[in-house]
Amino acid sequence: MKHEFRNKQIALAVAGALSAAAMSAATAGGFGNPIADKGEGTYVTGDFHNHTTCSDGVISMQKLVKKATDKADTPWGLDWFVQAGHGGNGNRNCTLIEDATLATPAYPVALATDGVTALGPNTSWQNSNPSITPKGLVLGTAPNQVMWRWQSIQEYQYPVVEYLAALKNMPLFIGLESVVAGHEHSSMSVISGQIPASIYKQNLPTTPGYSPLGNATALAKWSYCFDRGDTDTSRGNTVVGGAVGNNWDCSVTGSANAADPSWNPTALKLMPASGAGVGDRGHAKTVEAMKWMAQFQPNASYYVPAHLERAGPFNPNGNNGFNIESLRDFNNAAPTVAFGMETQPGHGASDARGEYTVHRNNFGGTIGNVDSVGGTTWGGTGVYGAQIGGVWDALLGEGRNFWFFASSDWHNRGMFGPDDRRSSQDFYPGEYQRTAVMVRKDDDKRGGHFFDAHEKGKSKVLTPNAIVDGLRTGNVWAASGQLIDRLAFVVCADTRINDAIGNALLEAATLIAARENTDVDLDAKCATLGEKLVVRPGSEVVVAITVRDPSGTNYSPYTFSNPSLTQVGITQALNKPVLDHLDVIGGAVTGYKTPGASDYSGEWPRTWISNPDMATVPEGAKNTSAHVVRTFSQGTWKTSFGDKQYKTMVFRLRNVSNSQYLRLRGTNLPAAVPFETDADGNPLADLWTNATAINPTLTGGADGKPAGANLRIPCTTVGTNVPATAVPYTGTAIDGCPAHLPVVNGQKMVAYDVAAWSDLWFYSNPVFIEVKGSTRVAGVE
Amino acid sequence: MSTIVEENTAAAAILRRKRPAPPVWMREPLLHFVVLGAVLFGVDHLLATRAGDPRTIVVDAGVDAQAIKIFKAARGHTPNAEELYALRKVWLDNEVLYREGIALGLDKGDTAIRERVIFKALMTVDANTKLPAFDESTLRKWFESHRNRYDEPARFDFEEAVLAGDRSESTARAFAVALNAGTPGDTEAGLRVFTARPHDNIVQSYGPEFATALEAAPEGEWQALPSREGPRVMRLKSMAPARPAKFEDLGSVVLQDWTDSVMSEQRSEAVRALARKYKVKVSGEK
Repeated sequence: MKHEFRNKQIALAVAGALSAAAMSAATAGGFGNPIADKGEGTYVTGDFHNHTTCSDGVISMQKLVKKATDKADTPWGLDWFVQAGHGGNGNRNCTLIEDATLATPAYPVALATDGVTALGPNTSWQNSNPSITPKGLVLGTAPNQVMWRWQSIQEYQYPVVEYLAALKNMPLFIGLESVVAGHEHSSMSVISGQIPASIYKQNLPTTPGYSPLGNATALAKWSYCFDRGDTDTSRGNTVVGGAVGNNWDCSVTGSANAADPSWNPTALKLMPASGAGVGDRGHAKTVEAMKWMAQFQPNASYYVPAHLERAGPFNPNGNNGFNIESLRDFNNAAPTVAFGMETQPGHGASDARGEYTVHRNNFGGTIGNVDSVGGTTWGGTGVYGAQIGGVWDALLGEGRNFWFFASSDWHNRGMFGPDDRRSSQDFYPGEYQRTAVMVRKDDDKRGGHFFDAHEKGKSKVLTPNAIVDGLRTGNVWAASGQLIDRLAFVVCADTRINDAIGNALLEAATLIAARENTDVDLDAKCATLGEKLVVRPGSEVVVAITVRDPSGTNYSPYTFSNPSLTQVGITQALNKPVLDHLDVIGGAVTGYKTPGASDYSGEWPRTWISNPDMATVPEGAKNTSAHVVRTFSQGTWKTSFGDKQYKTMVFRLRNVSNSQYLRLRGTNLPAAVPFETDADGNPLADLWTNATAINPTLTGGADGKPAGANLRIPCTTVGTNVPATAVPYTGTAIDGCPAHLPVVNGQKMVAYDVAAWSDLWFYSNPVFIEVKGSTRVAGVE
Repeated sequence: MSTIVEENTAAAAILRRKRPAPPVWMREPLLHFVVLGAVLFGVDHLLATRAGDPRTIVVDAGVDAQAIKIFKAARGHTPNAEELYALRKVWLDNEVLYREGIALGLDKGDTAIRERVIFKALMTVDANTKLPAFDESTLRKWFESHRNRYDEPARFDFEEAVLAGDRSESTARAFAVALNAGTPGDTEAGLRVFTARPHDNIVQSYGPEFATALEAAPEGEWQALPSREGPRVMRLKSMAPARPAKFEDLGSVVLQDWTDSVMSEQRSEAVRALARKYKVKVSGEK
């Protein structure tokens, strides 16, 4: 693939205009070099959370990589891809392909000993041909004995990914959805050793087998040491107590290690005991994991709690969710590693969107089933990210570098096969949610953001470093359903742009940047996503935004009108969404909370789904200053004259006296759409499009509900091309409410993938404004 | 089955013919026992064979065709004779496992299998439903009884000048005055535009007090209106009155809706009829 970098050209063009403005501006002061040296950059889209049969997915590594990155068969092809199944173990060999269409010279169709039976990705490791013997502690019985994830990553999954990266000239690497000690799951990776430059210069094999040039040993070691699902005690060796193998030691410098009651001297790692207090002990282990990453891989790893509201609040006696103090602990221990959260979960087509639901998590005893935090997702996003003034705003209000991420969490299509375009469970990476990350050519300090590709005509390949550095900077935004596919967002303070001409210049700068798929790169007087603008008290800042609302179709297979919008008289095809409005959300930065202080911690109210009142949220988990600063829509944004897909907005904040941040969100839904948005344009709970049954709080209780009982939005379009559920469908032209929608009182109701395609949002990460003499935005350099 | 009935009928006809008295040995009970046993065995064998003997597995052309199709998809070429033989062996092994699994009841309690069978049963039910005869008066009658689906409610176009920060009533009133004096609607936090919203939607989103006030407001004038979340600065732009739907204008829409409704009723009734075969007990209830 080829990446083009053009923002120097943009900078030059705008700099020229700025120079002209400076000449005419009475208050023009010294401006220095108008071209900042952030380095040329571009936004690239990818996904870092998805599953194969090595954990609980349904397809092979090769099929998943093809689905995620192919720009022809699956037109949503991503620019970068991290394959990241669950930590722990698994008994299936996900390196075996399904059929000849996925065959490569190094990894052809594998055959059983009978010579004809193709061995697909559901084959156990021991039933593979030749049989593979799992290492370490024996768990399970032959021929289905499990393999620890450390081994499958190190010896089987990484070689496939490295080979495919070289074959496709693409940035692919291996990550993990770690099963977190003391909590549920986190998306993470350690990239040291993975995808060296040499892979693009080698001659790839023409016969079966591939010997990798790099390795994922660092990630494998982390998996062994810190994943809750890894109860192996072999130290990464062939057998427990043996010395052949990795001989890992999970000690963290400066920590108790062997003096910790949870330390296992055979395994040389922390293995917290189960029972009462397991959540607290597990959390302590995970903080040690953060310390390990900060010590050994500070710039070559990331750790992002996944679907972090799903499993309920933090449970000191179980392995459930994350409270705000959990996130603060992680970010404090490893600020360059634990820099965000996956608060827009995958599983977008599930009967409980994101797999978040009411009474989902059994906390045991008299507590019974506890809601996912927030009850459900809200417009497809967890309450931590979706609620203005909630957990995310509380963290940003400290001035932390804590970013918003989305992922696919691909496993399967629910009631459909993996090649069907309909889904009652998951979307493929890139099909629905797309995370755009800024990667730069010149700001690399750790060994290169680009390698020379070996394929003629494809000169550059992004490195894992480029992606992880991009994620860390927070210059990241995410959109569902391709609601927007370009974004430029900049905040500037400069005496030379203090008039209408200045507004126009910045509008132009963001428009050009969006067209070139890059950010605005002027000088220190401007800041974009993940950056901070430092200003004097009383300054005036200019905020400029351009988005592209693409005019074509997205990847929805449905061409009928959006049923949610039909409720308010709007006719708009599901596969041709239109951005309705964009909100600029701001909040004050008041500094880091002190560990142990009363406002450092706070569980989100368990009653949120029935009483979403910010007054019930503890002080430590909210930022009451957060609010919609401006809202823009068709009447108030400018549509680009040359290309109507681009919408540009600009406004000024005057007399800026306190440190603060600004972030963006947008949606295809106007305010006040029944069961979708409230009168202020905030997303409502997805309870009303979740088909799932609700468990009672306690067994035998009366507060459960049967499947479909909460559905409220009718889907009425009949259509002429509505294939039966059992008939595979790979096209993109279903023109009526699909057959798999739940029927309530004879009426099809919006749920599953139709609910997801109806309700689209994008979120940007913030731009900070630090006022000299006010609170320092300490988390951002 | 019909063939067996015919054979049995023929045997009965033969038995009905008059014959001379049989020899003594033919009246021996043991002989009767042996002959009757043989006949029963033969009939049973015949019945079992024709009904699909669960212990007989037929590898037919359909099996080969399916195996060849899957093999070709996986391997990119048609299997040779040796490979086809191996494929048949694989199919046979799987068929044995399938039959043994069914015999062991392994399909019981499996949600995926249950849902699949339900789906197939529903398809069978659907195949037996039949649209009754209808004419225009049928459709008109149904239309009138469901006209709330089709009547066009009154719709309102309105705008909100969004307040920034302070949302007190006094601030909202002052802002409305300023807007009526010419201040642009997006001066504070922006402008929200709402088009063609029906009464029910307005009530649901803002509350009944707001809806009453908005719908009675003079067009074009900014006002501070009381909503569920506090005062909002709104302007009614226009109102389109309610319009009763006309059957003639709806054409095939009513026919389609009527068809869906009738078929759905038939399907429900068919399932209810099937349910009558069962005695339903609720666990825990006497």
